[in-house]
Amino acid sequence: MPASDDATTAPATIAADRAAALEIFEKTELPTWRRGGFWTTTLRDLKFDELGPREYPAVSSRDELPQVVRDALGDEQFAGLIVQRGASVIYSEVADDLPAGVIACTLEQAMADHGELTTKYYAKRIGHGEGKFTAANAALWSGGAFFYVPANTEVEKPFQVVNVIDEPGVAQYGRTLAIVDTSGKGIFREYNLAPDIEGQALHSGATEIFVEPNGWAKVKTFQDWGSGEVYDISTKRVAIARDAHARWFPIHLGGHLTKQTLDIVTADRGADMRHNGLYFTQGDELLDLFTTDLHESGDTTGDTVWKGAATGKSKASYEGLIEIREGCQNSHTYLQTHTLMLSKDAKVDAIPSLIVKTDDVSASHGGTVGEVDEHQVFYMRTRGISRQDAIRILVEGFFEPVIEQFEDEALETLVRERIQGKLAEASDDIASYAATK
Amino acid sequence: MADLEIINLHVRTEEREILHGVSLQVNKGETHALMGPNGSGKSTLANVLMGNDTYEVTEGQIIFNGEDITEEDPEKRSQAGLFLAFQYPAVVPGVSVANFLRLAINAHRDEPINVKEFRDRLKENMDLLKVPREFTSRYLNDGFSGGEKKRAEILQMAMLDPQIAVLDETDSGLDIDALRVVSEGVNALRERGMGSLIITHYQRILDYIKPDFVHILLEGRIVEEGGPELVAKLEEHGYDWIREEVASRAG
Ligand SMILES: Nc1ncnc2c1ncn2[C@@H]1O[C@H](COP(=O)(O)OP(=O)(O)O)[C@@H](O)[C@H]1O
Ligand SMILES: [Mg+2]
Repeated sequence: MPASDDATTAPATIAADRAAALEIFEKTELPTWRRGGFWTTTLRDLKFDELGPREYPAVSSRDELPQVVRDALGDEQFAGLIVQRGASVIYSEVADDLPAGVIACTLEQAMADHGELTTKYYAKRIGHGEGKFTAANAALWSGGAFFYVPANTEVEKPFQVVNVIDEPGVAQYGRTLAIVDTSGKGIFREYNLAPDIEGQALHSGATEIFVEPNGWAKVKTFQDWGSGEVYDISTKRVAIARDAHARWFPIHLGGHLTKQTLDIVTADRGADMRHNGLYFTQGDELLDLFTTDLHESGDTTGDTVWKGAATGKSKASYEGLIEIREGCQNSHTYLQTHTLMLSKDAKVDAIPSLIVKTDDVSASHGGTVGEVDEHQVFYMRTRGISRQDAIRILVEGFFEPVIEQFEDEALETLVRERIQGKLAEASDDIASYAATK
Repeated sequence: MADLEIINLHVRTEEREILHGVSLQVNKGETHALMGPNGSGKSTLANVLMGNDTYEVTEGQIIFNGEDITEEDPEKRSQAGLFLAFQYPAVVPGVSVANFLRLAINAHRDEPINVKEFRDRLKENMDLLKVPREFTSRYLNDGFSGGEKKRAEILQMAMLDPQIAVLDETDSGLDIDALRVVSEGVNALRERGMGSLIITHYQRILDYIKPDFVHILLEGRIVEEGGPELVAKLEEHGYDWIREEVASRAG
């Protein structure tokens, strides 16, 4: 652990914040999200009162981590690795060749050792005032991850946090805070994982990422909660300062019910963002995502591309808002969403929208909802490829242009394998759907 | 019996019959030209040969190597050695040309092709067809020009090494240089014993690929058959001459 140059500790302000958040949490009802689309997302089947934070003992090597974590991490080397199981950080690693001033530790630890730095950023983009679950997170988070890349510093290896739930009954309040300081460069990954548990669990996370002036960050958030009844109600926000750049890949490959707010804020002139997400839903999963491409300043640029596929009886909704505030001249942004229906019983919604309060900007959106194209399938079959394989190849090919841009071999392999696995599981369903046309 | 026998084929869509009893025989090593004006049913025949089920075969048969394949799946026909270079090839987004070729080749064999063998074969055929290197890393047909699509079709043909190939208007969209290169490719495969059915409504490609036999399709019927001299006659008199012939025969 690098020596702390900022020896202030556990600020009282954060304790006060927790207390205020707790009060809101306790007096707020469980929410229901009415949406513009086909259905309302409710928590009526969630037995919230039966879930709670759970502590786990630390382990001393990667070999002792839950299988699902080991499988996802392989033997990759990280700048920093934090693994949180339930309410406890059970394992962490920090590379021994990091540039001076880099920090990778639990958020609790960071608050103790780097009070000034954490106070500067903590809860600045995700407060406790956005409903029951942001309040719950602010009040109840424990462990957490903190990553810091100092000014003028480039860290090549990724920073990695893993939130794992491997038992029913767990309510996990994960919190990640990551910062790239002025002219720094860093890569952050957050994996949210569960094996196929029997019963209910909840992850309610808050992830704040700051990219300071002229900084550069790549963010990859990967979710696969398995086939158990895991609810994920989280907020993630990336804020980009002057002339800084961030590229965020949110990847959603499993979860019983997911309700997430995923926002990118271009906060100052020259800020530039790319938001390239993908999802694949199956069975009776419900995925409800709301992203905002928020321009708080003029001369900002954005590009959002989402790709999703839905099988089984799953419901997948992607709402993408472009919001350009007053006085943000010369902002340019584009949002597109492409969805592939792979089952007659799946429901998908893709709802792009615009709130633009400045003239002299360009903001537009587009999108497609499609099915596997029979002309393409026939073409591939005339090359000897079976119908089943042709459909699989087309779905993989649908995601490939996004996957390829991760520029991250380990994650690319992980995502390709998971998608292949899901396609194999859904293959009968997909084939019977394709055969009806 | 010929290697590929099309016997009295009647084909319809929901609305109407398009082919009204087409018979045609193609042997390995032979080059046939199928000519006819737009809308005469050439592409329909090509698609039905590969098992496109948007068309219904109401009468007649397709026999390949002695087997009735009229109801066979498209992939089985391909695996048996039939190939179609499409007039309008589909886009396969997210799958590179090289990857697609590997998938297609592997679909034709029990064991996956080894990396080196694949690479050598790809290089050989890319040289043959003068395909630039970067071509194979692009997504198949995604954003390809008309000419690039046709080259990609012929590259697939060369890689899959079919016994009999149908080339549906491969010449359209190709400039003269590309046409020459593609024709040389087809001729090289012909040397290896491939039979082909070259569909075109111009004679241009037939200057480079000399057909052994020529068939003329008009409104879903083969109305004239002969040797290469038919091409010259068509060139000289156009399709109106055929139409008049047919009318006077009927009269
Ligand atoms: N899938 C289809 N559905 C309806 N009509 C079709 C279809 N395919 C071809 N046709 C019709 O059949 C006729 C022959 O078409 P086609 O085989 O494409 O001719 P060619 O290739 O000789 O130009 C045309 O009138 C065309 O409109
Ligand atoms: Mg045609």
